Amino acid sequence: MPRIAGVDIPENKKILYSLQYVHGVGPATSKDILAKVGVDPDTRAKDLADHEVAGIAGEIDTNHVVEGALRRQVQQDIQRLKDTRCWRGERHRKGLPVRGQRTRCNARTRKGRKRTVAGKKGVKG
Amino acid sequence: MSRSMKKGPYVDEKLYMKVQKQSDGGKHLPIKTWARACTIVPEFIGKTFQVYNGRTFVDVFCTEDMVGHKLGEFSPTRVFRGHTNKKEGLKS
Repeated sequence: MPRIAGVDIPENKKILYSLQYVHGVGPATSKDILAKVGVDPDTRAKDLADHEVAGIAGEIDTNHVVEGALRRQVQQDIQRLKDTRCWRGERHRKGLPVRGQRTRCNARTRKGRKRTVAGKKGVKG
Repeated sequence: MSRSMKKGPYVDEKLYMKVQKQSDGGKHLPIKTWARACTIVPEFIGKTFQVYNGRTFVDVFCTEDMVGHKLGEFSPTRVFRGHTNKKEGLKS
């Protein structure tokens, strides 16, 4: 099992797809990396030669932000929004949708599981 | 949809002129403005604006982090004070 970008160990899949197990590498990035290093996207991850693995790892290290560094960067971006007291920052702080979606109903991804409000139904006056 | 790159950022011209005048003249009074849609450009750093939110003017001091945002993003138009408690009823 080849190791790429730290802890990630993709497996019996074609390298084009196993690369996508790295956080920060999707279909497009994966394709770009393989094209640049000159590795056939259809080879299985286990059949890669050592120098091919090294080439892919090197390419990711130099030109891509992945895994921990990427997660940290995203967190920092969110923190920056929160610190500047702008509208988007407030939405992050309140755990509400950030990009103008409705919140009257739905928005469950941001708001989490439904919290039932006591006395909302049936109680009159 | 985002704004076309060709046009560049939207900056309120009158407001921009006022900022320029302040930078030349040296007076640093807060600038009252209604131009909430105006993008904050690097020239605005260190200036204070009073951005109208429909009711009052909110003081907005521009820092480096704010560049690229709009003035209105820092002047909230709605106040949410929590939902009313049904048991206690509306507090008058």
